[in-house]
Amino acid sequence: MSTYFRQLGAIVAKDLLLELRSRDRISSMGAFAVLAAVLFHFSLDTSTTRPQDVAAGLIWMTLIFGGLLGVGRTFHIESQDGAMQGILTSPAHKDAVFLGKTLANFALLFVVSLLVLGVFTLFFRLELGANVGWLVLVLGLGSLGFVALGTLFAAVSSGTSMGETLLPILVFPLLVPMVVYGAGTTGRLIAARPFSEVEGNVKLLGAFALAALAAGAVLFRYVVEE
Amino acid sequence: MVRIAGLRRGGIVLTLLGLAGLIGLYWMSFFWVSTELTQGIVQRIFYVHVPAAWTTFLAFGFCALTSGVYLWLRDERLDRAALCAAEGGLVFATIMLTTGPLWARIAWGTYWTWEPRLTMTLLLWFIYLGYFMVRSSTEDPERGKRFAAVVAIIGAIQIPFIHLSVLWFRSLHPQPVVVRPDGPSLPGDMLTTLLTGAAVFLVLFMGLFLFRYALETLRAEADRRARTSTI
Repeated sequence: MSTYFRQLGAIVAKDLLLELRSRDRISSMGAFAVLAAVLFHFSLDTSTTRPQDVAAGLIWMTLIFGGLLGVGRTFHIESQDGAMQGILTSPAHKDAVFLGKTLANFALLFVVSLLVLGVFTLFFRLELGANVGWLVLVLGLGSLGFVALGTLFAAVSSGTSMGETLLPILVFPLLVPMVVYGAGTTGRLIAARPFSEVEGNVKLLGAFALAALAAGAVLFRYVVEE
Repeated sequence: MVRIAGLRRGGIVLTLLGLAGLIGLYWMSFFWVSTELTQGIVQRIFYVHVPAAWTTFLAFGFCALTSGVYLWLRDERLDRAALCAAEGGLVFATIMLTTGPLWARIAWGTYWTWEPRLTMTLLLWFIYLGYFMVRSSTEDPERGKRFAAVVAIIGAIQIPFIHLSVLWFRSLHPQPVVVRPDGPSLPGDMLTTLLTGAAVFLVLFMGLFLFRYALETLRAEADRRARTSTI
């Protein structure tokens, strides 16, 4: 068991170290998030729509589109110099590889989701008040579910000739539950409703993330086998 | 080769039977069955819509099941069955998605609404679109089969989540009238027409399925011969 977690930790450490040195995924996702918030702001006519009312949905759309940018390139680094072969022939369990890549992606996307929340709070003049902690939890659970599905299907799409263009087609239909619960919950929390009102939704968001993680861990080995 | 001929003959017989049954079903739903009291004439589309829906879910369920077993046993026949079921499912899902809005325009006053079962069918339709795109965009066919099986299984796992999440919005869809704890609530002639529809669509699906299965088997056989003859 401890070797399993060592293997998992090694994958996470490798991915995060590479990201820390190159910073290309986190910077592209971060820049995308800020620019999307700017564009979204100017896409609204503030004389007919209150920006605060639509911010929750836009936060989730920014997170998903920005997340696709980074998650789609999860296996980009492995596609060069036969690095994927190296990982697959290593004694690491396939599900440890999946969970490691997913956790590394999660760390990146969670940072981006905090940035998205901050940027929207600033640009859309949101008053988060006492619900900040719950909002961070909801965005964290959403990010986890998203990267679990995203990492699995990034492995699928990077193995096809269509590449990353296939990723949204595969992932978007599956994200509907997450967007329904996530954006609904975020909207209510931004409107300063009490957490007890959205507790059931947060639990379902957590169940969605767990189901996505478990399904990915089981199915990943069939995607990468050669 | 004998097996393929048998499959094709079965496909022809069942498809012809299904098409003949379809004529009978149209006659029944246009002329024989009594008109529903509150919805009027538009309710007759129900005898096409509901059997199409049942067949769709049967086909997609069968596809997910055979996909799962394919990943386990790696028998080519299972993958072929999954592919043919997915194609049939997509056809019947398209029937369901076209007849539904026609009925909804009269009954609900709108072609489209974000109603749970409607949303779920639309998403399933796109999940299976992805299923075919994944299959056709891999150079190595074996890899495409694995990828497609993963998509089908994930799609099946997602169904309860999609259903629960869209249930969040209040459901406009009519409640079940056949599969209920206290038995069917439909009047006799309507139930007969509906069950006839279900049987006709099932036979039609099985006919098309066998046709496609025979074709895929032939294709695999041709592939195998082409490969062995070049060596």
